[in-house]
Amino acid sequence: MIDMKPLYEAVLKGDAATARALTEQALASGMEPITVVKEFMVPAMDEVGRRFECNEYFVPELLLAARAMKAALELVRPLLVKSGVEPQGRVVVGTVRGDLHDIGKNLVAAMLEGGGFEVVDLGVNVTPEKFIEAVKAKNANIVALSALLTTTMPAMRATIEAFKAAGLRDQVKIFVGGAPITQKFADDIGADGYSENAPGAVTLAKVHAARAA
Amino acid sequence: MCSMNSRERVLAHLEGRPVDRLPVMPITMQFAADLIGARYRDYANDHRVLVEGQMRVAEDFGFDYVNTMSDPAREAGDCGAVVEHFENSPAAMVEAQALLGDKTVLSRLKIPDPLGGGRMHNSLRAITLFQERLRGDKLIEGWVEGPCAEAADLRGINTLMLDFYDDPQFVRDLFEFCVAMALRFAREQVAAGVDMIGVGDAAASLVGPHINEEFVWPYEKKLVDGLHALGTRVRLHICGNTRFALANIGRLGCDVVDLDSLAPLAEARALMGPGQVLLGNVNPVVIVRNSRRDEVQTALAECHRHAGARYIVGAGCEIPRDTPPENVRAFAEYARSSSP
Repeated sequence: MIDMKPLYEAVLKGDAATARALTEQALASGMEPITVVKEFMVPAMDEVGRRFECNEYFVPELLLAARAMKAALELVRPLLVKSGVEPQGRVVVGTVRGDLHDIGKNLVAAMLEGGGFEVVDLGVNVTPEKFIEAVKAKNANIVALSALLTTTMPAMRATIEAFKAAGLRDQVKIFVGGAPITQKFADDIGADGYSENAPGAVTLAKVHAARAA
Repeated sequence: MCSMNSRERVLAHLEGRPVDRLPVMPITMQFAADLIGARYRDYANDHRVLVEGQMRVAEDFGFDYVNTMSDPAREAGDCGAVVEHFENSPAAMVEAQALLGDKTVLSRLKIPDPLGGGRMHNSLRAITLFQERLRGDKLIEGWVEGPCAEAADLRGINTLMLDFYDDPQFVRDLFEFCVAMALRFAREQVAAGVDMIGVGDAAASLVGPHINEEFVWPYEKKLVDGLHALGTRVRLHICGNTRFALANIGRLGCDVVDLDSLAPLAEARALMGPGQVLLGNVNPVVIVRNSRRDEVQTALAECHRHAGARYIVGAGCEIPRDTPPENVRAFAEYARSSSP
């Protein structure tokens, strides 16, 4: 049995090359892909999230860790799909229509991926129609909407209304976040959850996944 | 005390001389455009519209200053970066087409001429028009992007965050370019007649103390010192949570430190000492926009109590566009009802 603690450390430190090499070794040695993810990568990203919330890590360190995690995940994901292992959930993320700011959305996407979710990142300036198309195409059960500007906050409401109009509102949980967003705003527009940061978004998604299981 | 006009009040306060009341200097941009019924695209691109909006806000709500800020993309746009201009909201960088997506472009990048007819020139025209119309009644504040914010605009904010670890020398070269460009732009703003230059360094709140110490602070310091050498005053505003960097910000020597709502004013006062003028920092959405007028005043009183006498009345960041007018009036009402 090879020692996989260094994989945990490599993700934590954002060392993508080492994370990928160790993952290759682990898979070659016969370790189950799901074990690599659940025992090492998810705990590493959980620790990244904890450090971020405690102001030990900041955005550069979080993005670095996410890059390392993705480098390793690229090797594992095809094997998981092949063996029929389902992700914790499928999340469509995007910055809403009229808003080009993406760093908060990217942090959420990376942390969700590190938390065992399959993430469909639609990018920025995403119309309600594109969110709906992606949910249908990927059979997603969570939608995460981001906005940085007070002027684009109404697009979150419009997106939720579009899901209602499409008859899909009951099939997905819709979470919102971004600098000007508050819990009150989330409640007012009928969102299912709000988080002020990326680790909080993962917690919301995990709570939903646990309830749905 | 003799009556003083707005400009005299701010300048006296910065110099530590007695004032008749606290100065009032919240940031408005979209609120100002809406007040005069202008599209934001026109506010950001036509200096006459910006001047009209700023003067109306200052007059209607008792602010002591006007400023030329509209979005972070003026300098980057003049460099040739791809900027998306929306009909009625601020322009934004298109990161997927970042000007410095290829790092080697930096070595060939030239500082654009602020008088070359671009959006920087538009800012300079606004300053000239402010001078003509205000005749010394209000303080005129210009604006430049700080090194971290400008680097993020040119390189792409996500990529820059990784560059700090992947290629530190590139970041230093890029920050050097950004400071030189900011000082070139500032020199023309000073020549056009600004009393103060605001420095917006939003992306600086995303990095931690280590990167702040190694990369951000040295270049912010170089910029602040350069602005002082041009004979102007400096207001630093960093959007977001700067709690981790308050001591460093205090060492920059800014005339005004304008804090966002996530940075506690009491901590800033303790770390920056009694002489630092602090501005802010009422939560712009939760309090300024979403609460009642009396709650805005209560929050301002709390800020004033934490900051002490060396305080300027303001919000944590831009006053949102759909803020009730009575809440915006609360800033000047508070200043009038309390002594420094």
